[in-house]
Amino acid sequence: MSATLTPLRIADDVFEFQVETSKHAQALADELRSAGLAEDIVAGLDRVSVRFDPARTKQVETWLSGIRSINLPDQTARPVIEIPVQYGDEFGPDLDAICEAMELSPEAFIEVHTGAEHEVEMIGFIPGFSYISGLPETFQIPRLGTPRARVPSGSIGISAAFTGIYALAGPGGWPLIGRTPDRLFDPDAADPFRLRPGQRVRFKAV
Amino acid sequence: MLRVLKAGLQSTIQGAPRLGDRHLGIPYAGPADALSMALANRLVGNASDATCVEVTFGGFEAEVETDCAVAVTGAAGRLLVSDREMQPHSTWHLNKGATIKIEPPRTGVRTYLAIHSGFSAQTQFNSTSTYLPAAFGGMEGRALQAGDVLSATTTPQMSDTLQTPEALRPTFTNAFALRACVSAETDLLAPEARRALFSETFTAGRQATRMGLSLEGHPLAVASDGKMKSAPVFPGILQCPPSGTPIVLLCDAQTTGGYPRIASIARCDRHLLGQIRPGDQVTLLHRTPEAALVDFTEKQALLDRWLRGGA
Repeated sequence: MSATLTPLRIADDVFEFQVETSKHAQALADELRSAGLAEDIVAGLDRVSVRFDPARTKQVETWLSGIRSINLPDQTARPVIEIPVQYGDEFGPDLDAICEAMELSPEAFIEVHTGAEHEVEMIGFIPGFSYISGLPETFQIPRLGTPRARVPSGSIGISAAFTGIYALAGPGGWPLIGRTPDRLFDPDAADPFRLRPGQRVRFKAV
Repeated sequence: MLRVLKAGLQSTIQGAPRLGDRHLGIPYAGPADALSMALANRLVGNASDATCVEVTFGGFEAEVETDCAVAVTGAAGRLLVSDREMQPHSTWHLNKGATIKIEPPRTGVRTYLAIHSGFSAQTQFNSTSTYLPAAFGGMEGRALQAGDVLSATTTPQMSDTLQTPEALRPTFTNAFALRACVSAETDLLAPEARRALFSETFTAGRQATRMGLSLEGHPLAVASDGKMKSAPVFPGILQCPPSGTPIVLLCDAQTTGGYPRIASIARCDRHLLGQIRPGDQVTLLHRTPEAALVDFTEKQALLDRWLRGGA
């Protein structure tokens, strides 16, 4: 863990901490949120951003400069969720290009993807979009140079060594490998988000 | 009560932004031009973020089904009530049977229609604001369409007739100068690109939505390998994908993103983002965060005298 936590000003009304891992980011964000002093506290994979009301600038500066360390909570593992995936073809239009760049066959890629146990690191981007780790670090898939204006809901993309699931249709910059028929966001459900940070996941080819 | 006769290109119900839920992936939504909506609400005696109709590029028509007090602000096309031309920034007292027509504006994009006591709408995640990509809030989560009936939350009538002070009425041209600060990954810009960012005139691209708009004409050399770890973003942030064409995020912006964050539009000027139309010229004026907040505080104080003042 970094020895000092110095907030960087990334907008006139946003401070940001850089931290080591997504677990640190989630823990710091949860702790900061409990203070109730900010408009929004958002964890990235290795960042935590704090957007504040300008009327509270001085108070927020003092508060954040007093943050010295991150207490990692005990992780209580959730059971593994299985997510069905239709790989390739119209569901994953970028699968062939990714495999070509990695000199892998699509079958070998799918074997790696379905063979690993993954974990949700972060929810963000759009409602229910999950950033899921579990692929080997040797996977370094770049994002698309120009994002797609619209990807269908359930689309599954890869960026670096992360799997991302687009729970909703919308614009997207991750190359797509497949699609799940499962619904991961339901605004009318009591608990609208099926996946949460810390959730373990397996993918199954269908 | 109003019955929608023509909904135009995209008219949505908008109220308060959804502050505090970005960590769940829930975007703010709310008005693309929060100042214009606040001014409309003021004229009908509402709180600044009471629920309004946001009309995009005009083309909106409605029939009045109950006597009511309404007001229109924002991008100003011709405004007609039962074929009589009306002025924006004023309380209109309308009778049953009248028709409201908002014609396409020549400059600016979005027009706001407020009603006394606010429009009744579906609340999801603590707000009535419509978020179209996930279909929640507002009118069944969708854009308005002909035949929709819009009710006020309580009685839609009031006795006062108000006008926005002339000095506080925003006007829109085809050129926008926006105050902006550096952001987390501004250092990834080549020196020439950083100079260009805060001095060149960009052209707003054809994809101008409530999520974001592109700034074209001066591709920026950015030292990014496309593998940045996803980081939080907010309305006002400029992201720069490898193509070098920056994207300014608006009210419906995603909550995190993986492209370098190269600048942030200052809070005091973010309301203008909702009025930039494709082809408009945009320049960024560099400010330190401290100076930008001073500007915000001064602008807010000026507006608050009106927005929070008595009738």
